Amino acid sequence: MFLTKNDHQPIANEASQAAKQRHLRNAVLGLCVMTAFATIAGFSNPTFTTVDNLFVVIRAASMTGIVAIAMSFLTISGNLFALSASSLGALIAVVFAVTTSSFGFPIGLALTFGVAVLCGLAQGITVAGFGNPIIATLAFGTVFRGFAAYLSGNSIVRIDSPAALWLGTARPFGVPTQSWIFMLCALVCWAIIRHTKLGRQTILCGSNPHAARASGLNLAFVTSSAFVFMSVGTAIMAILNVAQFSQAKADLFWGYDFDYIAAVLVGGIALSGGKGSPMQAALGAILIALLQNYMLLNGFSSGLRMTIVGALVVAAISVFHIMQGKVR
Amino acid sequence: MLRMTNIIKKYGPTLVLDEVQFAVEAGEVMALMGENGAGKSTLVKILAGLEIPQAGTIEIDGHTKHIRSPRDSHAAGIGYVAQELSIVPSLPVYENVFLGDNTLGILRTPRVLAKKAKPFLESVGLGNIDPLTYTESLSVAERQLVEIARLLSREARIAILDEPTAALSDAEIARVKSAVRTLAGRGCAVIYVTHRMPEVFDLTDRVTVLRNGNSFPALETKNLTVDTLIEEMLGRRLDNMFPARSDGLQEIKLQLSGVRGAGLRAPVSLNVRRGEILGLAGQVGSGASSVLRLIAGTIPLAEGHMLLDGAAFRPKNISNSKQAGIAYCSDDRKHDGIFAGRSVPENLSAPALSIISRAGFLSFGKERRLAEYISSRFGIDASYFSRLAGNLSGGNQQKVALGKWIGINPNLLLVEEPTRGVDVGARAEIYRHLRELANAGLCIIFASSDTQEVLGLADRVGTFFHGELVRTMDAADATVQQISKDVTHATEAMA
Amino acid sequence: MTNKENLAIGARFALMVIVYAIFAAQLQSYYTVAGVSALLTSAVLTGLICVGVAITMIAGEMDLSVGSMAALSGIFSVIFFPLGLIPAIVLATLICTLLGAIQGWCIHRLNINSVVFTIGTLIGIRGLCLFISGERTALIPFDRIAETDVLVAKLWILTPLSICLIVTFIVAEWFMSRTLWGREIYAIGGARDEARAAGVSLKRPTMIAFSISAGLAGLAGALLSLRAGSASPLSYETVVLEAITACLLGGILLSGGRGRLLGVAVGLFTIRLLVSGIAALGAPFWMQNLAVGALLIIVIASEAIAKIMVRRRELMSTPDLIR
Repeated sequence: MFLTKNDHQPIANEASQAAKQRHLRNAVLGLCVMTAFATIAGFSNPTFTTVDNLFVVIRAASMTGIVAIAMSFLTISGNLFALSASSLGALIAVVFAVTTSSFGFPIGLALTFGVAVLCGLAQGITVAGFGNPIIATLAFGTVFRGFAAYLSGNSIVRIDSPAALWLGTARPFGVPTQSWIFMLCALVCWAIIRHTKLGRQTILCGSNPHAARASGLNLAFVTSSAFVFMSVGTAIMAILNVAQFSQAKADLFWGYDFDYIAAVLVGGIALSGGKGSPMQAALGAILIALLQNYMLLNGFSSGLRMTIVGALVVAAISVFHIMQGKVR
Repeated sequence: MLRMTNIIKKYGPTLVLDEVQFAVEAGEVMALMGENGAGKSTLVKILAGLEIPQAGTIEIDGHTKHIRSPRDSHAAGIGYVAQELSIVPSLPVYENVFLGDNTLGILRTPRVLAKKAKPFLESVGLGNIDPLTYTESLSVAERQLVEIARLLSREARIAILDEPTAALSDAEIARVKSAVRTLAGRGCAVIYVTHRMPEVFDLTDRVTVLRNGNSFPALETKNLTVDTLIEEMLGRRLDNMFPARSDGLQEIKLQLSGVRGAGLRAPVSLNVRRGEILGLAGQVGSGASSVLRLIAGTIPLAEGHMLLDGAAFRPKNISNSKQAGIAYCSDDRKHDGIFAGRSVPENLSAPALSIISRAGFLSFGKERRLAEYISSRFGIDASYFSRLAGNLSGGNQQKVALGKWIGINPNLLLVEEPTRGVDVGARAEIYRHLRELANAGLCIIFASSDTQEVLGLADRVGTFFHGELVRTMDAADATVQQISKDVTHATEAMA
Repeated sequence: MTNKENLAIGARFALMVIVYAIFAAQLQSYYTVAGVSALLTSAVLTGLICVGVAITMIAGEMDLSVGSMAALSGIFSVIFFPLGLIPAIVLATLICTLLGAIQGWCIHRLNINSVVFTIGTLIGIRGLCLFISGERTALIPFDRIAETDVLVAKLWILTPLSICLIVTFIVAEWFMSRTLWGREIYAIGGARDEARAAGVSLKRPTMIAFSISAGLAGLAGALLSLRAGSASPLSYETVVLEAITACLLGGILLSGGRGRLLGVAVGLFTIRLLVSGIAALGAPFWMQNLAVGALLIIVIASEAIAKIMVRRRELMSTPDLIR
């Protein structure tokens, strides 16, 4: 049915070349911004550029990054973002700790991912039917926290698993495991969005849900899968955290939701959905981690840090909005 | 009283109103007629302050008025009742009568305002409605009348009614007509935009016809006959836009027996054959598009049954009909026809993702070949591939919206308004490509409010008015005049 | 009010009575004067805030920053306390109202989704709280704490705070149904494009709705902080969830344009009776949150199901419906 390969190829090739060049240019720009920031920060505070601090930043960036990458699926699919990430993380951490200490590492891991997928499906189906992801995830967030408190008996749950400890603290080839996993997640998610049918469906549903439905796409399925991705990513982060500290408690990750949201926005993923790539969220997470680290080292109070992150979120939202030309 | 001179309106490169002249006197009812795309809606939207012309003047009672917003329009004494009603259903009736009126003070006692609203409601024939009831319990016709009551409450001197009776029953139409007479009786200049002959001849004093963005001097209704009016509206058009029809019958592909659903008042029975193009002619509210939606599965079948290739067919949603090999393209491509923020190849492959992927992974090679294939069939220049679909011209966007369905190799294509907002050159291309697809075996059903398009493109024609199928005939035996009469409900007994 | 509306409010009221009965059977405090007074007063925080949240929801928007706004007001009221009790409350509330007006103006001007925007301001204002208070709980000097005693005075089952709540509900209901501005809020929430086409201004009702929401949050924060004698920058984090649930339970639609404050009052007390009852029965704090979250999920799930069924019925019905 299709024409043979030889016709029209040169022109179409040109088109995709142009797109590739655009992506490359954006990535290089992002790297330049980061290097510039790091240099300036390094000059103003020498501690910033020590090796120890570098590892701190890399670990923090990796953890935030894994969740931000997962959250980007939600944003790209047109579902804004989830306010339940940190609470889900706490629940998963507790579940992992409890199951690992009872059944051992492998079974604990499997059960934990199972719970994560279930939580994702529950949120996805609710949002697919209800339509407002912010309110829905707000509600789910409190439920998750509540269950985390219940399961942990509102106290610290400790684990003693050599495998988990290795996972949380090792540095294969000098790079922390978290960062390996971060890079792996970034690559895998990028591949999913760009190269798989589900990824393309996610993009199309975010770009124009009406046209997507008219083309025969299943919006509910795409929304649910986006939430499952988010939940699995959050689970990975939570497991790594428990592995690192060998314990879990119900109030983990409190207040981190805004870092995740900021990472997605600062990375340049449009809130309206339908475009962007998990790589952007990864980049954004690194920037946010750098910023947080810099502020911490310079003794910024948590109040000031939160205000700055909040201002960044508001600024990013407003800038995107104005750029889209929707302003009155 | 109202005089519009040399109005020019462009949307990008498309000229919609070309030095239009339009005038209405106080106390008269002026019909504004013309085919879809002729510019009627745009002209009245300019008066309502919703569009701003590139050139031209508007004078009311000899004073030039600059109307740049709905507020200016209200201040100039113009009242506009659009096709989409501006009624808030969750508010009481009296609130809707006074909606947008800031002169009544901040405190609003329901009883006092309800009493104030009563006389206006009575003059439009809604005297039996309690102004305190919630507007959502009113029928569409009654809501329309509430909007007319709002015009009266604002002491509008120029009233514009855009297709006010498209969705109404005969009894309700009578109420609207009497409200219009009341308006005119009070010295209002009434502009009545319509395609319906019975009302034109019953209600109006004069008729202004718009054709392809050009205006013609107003005609006295009493001097017109149906035939002369239709000739005015149609004018002369390019005859070489349409490719030759096919000949030879093939087997019946789809059979509709007594089907009814939202938008259709009476059961419809139709057949379509393989390789045949069936054109459904009808204006706003005629039900032609409802037939397409029933087949596509976007509205449920209330009555009757459909047979596809002889087997019972009852789609519950788009996926069902897509699986059966049916492709559906709505009339609003901006809303659900294209992905404005994505590239052309991504648009073209959207319904065919399963075909261009294997084991869940996309093949960019296949996507490119599909895009090239569709573009060559539809005349989309391959240099557009890197562009976002939203940045293409109307004609190219329509080609993308239509073309993307080729990827799934459908055997039935349903299209609403195939060339809406498309310039003449692109129109001819689209007609040619559709005919080629039909000759290759594709069955096409399209709904259009453009009579000449229906006659030119289709092999068989069905005419619709007011939710009913008027008649079906072979295009070879039909005339433009006959189709126009059917869709405007003009009978020989008029004028 | 139509019959259908009356029925809906009646059903909600019945639910509230059932919840009350369940807990009153086990808790004596649910029917003693002191106990009822405490119940009413405990509803003041959520109550004042959910009036504001309800008004923004009716306008078709959402204000998620109310918790942070209340905390900010608490801190301001403690800072301004040297000026006197009433001036401190008034000043703190006015500042918040002004901030709300600015929010409303931004949301209108930027034509932005208010849910998204107020998440940003939620973070920012919370940060501002921490910054202004130096991350410490602001305290009223011990020697002047007696001046706040008037806030805990009792009049049968009422206290100044609960009187404030009742008056607020009455005034807000009057505002929404008897003034042009309130009607405009219903209009832009119920059918925004249609209202705009009819000439209703969008700026004014938006700014008014967000001013009221922030102002009431400010009032709540000020009253409660002064009554407790302290203001923590981290307080009132979970109020917004309870307020939204109370509104949805009370019949306010997320899509806007519908609902009465009377229904919100019923929803408010239903939740409060549930949460206070759970707490009085000895459940830990997180379980109260869990209950509210679960309740919200149930409410939105049922709204989704109801929406699907209404759509299905609509499509099957009269042929007069075009499109």
